[in-house]
Amino acid sequence: MRSDTEIRAELRTFVRRHTGQVAVTDDTPLFTLRLLRSVHLPELIILLERLRGAPIDVEQLRIGDFDGIDAMVARFGRQP
Amino acid sequence: MSALATALAEVSQTADRLSRLSVRAHQNPYTLVDWPPAVDPERDWFGTPEYVSLYGTPVWAGLDDRARRRVAFHEAAGFYSLNIHGERALIQGLAARLYRSDLAGSAGYLHHFLDEENKHSVWFGGFCTRYARVHRSRQVSFATDRTRDVDDFLFFAKTLIFEEIVDHYNRVQARDGRLHPLARFINDNHHREEARHLVFGRRLVTALWQAGGWDRATAAEIRDDLARFVTATWREYYHPDVYADAGLDDPWELAEAAWSAPDQRTHRRRVSADCLRFLAAAGVLTEEPADAF
Repeated sequence: MRSDTEIRAELRTFVRRHTGQVAVTDDTPLFTLRLLRSVHLPELIILLERLRGAPIDVEQLRIGDFDGIDAMVARFGRQP
Repeated sequence: MSALATALAEVSQTADRLSRLSVRAHQNPYTLVDWPPAVDPERDWFGTPEYVSLYGTPVWAGLDDRARRRVAFHEAAGFYSLNIHGERALIQGLAARLYRSDLAGSAGYLHHFLDEENKHSVWFGGFCTRYARVHRSRQVSFATDRTRDVDDFLFFAKTLIFEEIVDHYNRVQARDGRLHPLARFINDNHHREEARHLVFGRRLVTALWQAGGWDRATAAEIRDDLARFVTATWREYYHPDVYADAGLDDPWELAEAAWSAPDQRTHRRRVSADCLRFLAAAGVLTEEPADAF
């Protein structure tokens, strides 16, 4: 499993790739602002699973779980 | 009148013809297959080896024949699972539109569509629950504030993309004489049924795109969503859980490596080509999905 710093770095790269020129910080609400949408989730979930080294229960997800890099690290940054 | 109601009225003759064909091809999914009590994943091929997601990678090159068959078997279960989840979303979307106040006159073919998708899932689920398992999907959908017309279009366009890619696999695997007869049957039956849905889908998506008459910004957002969906759909074919079930190490890293492998990029582009050509000719997509290949 990666460190918090490594996870954040990978997530920032992912977010930058999909949001282009928009300025984004770790607490930017990515889904609320529609910078990311549901259609990004399969790629995002598989990235998070790879970074944490454990599956994510996709039947128990809420939009708030993904609404910013801080939120994702808090929700998925540790193995269950 | 909604764009979907307009488009359905425009394709009503096609829908009526397909309804008659559906009545003629009506099947009982509970009696049509003689399920063997067990299968041997290391003896028989359950998926076309050239269509296994590891094909062309160093890992595939390093596997012996029995291990390759084992991977193909678990990948068949993964492929059928993708179909189960795709059809579940399709069933939900069709049910939500069945007898909607503006679509009541078009319920006839929607009934067949729904019925047939449910039957397909009986076969896919029958295989997975008897011999392997139903793998999870990572397609998750949260509510949006899009207009109903845009939602309708995205629903049918995504359905078409999903079914076109699946159908390519079905056609190839139905004809592959190396495969276990059960795998050939499931692929062949699905292909024959989906042929009707694809005719309907292509006609409806074309008519719906024209009826939508969206402004430039909305059209751009729709295009972006569909392009992203092509990538998301393909991503699901590189399933870490499948690799883990096949006994392979580091399944997430393997999924990442397979996704990026040059042979796999070429494969995805080739399999998607017909569908993307259609969407470009209909004016829906104006460029190739950037990340999918």
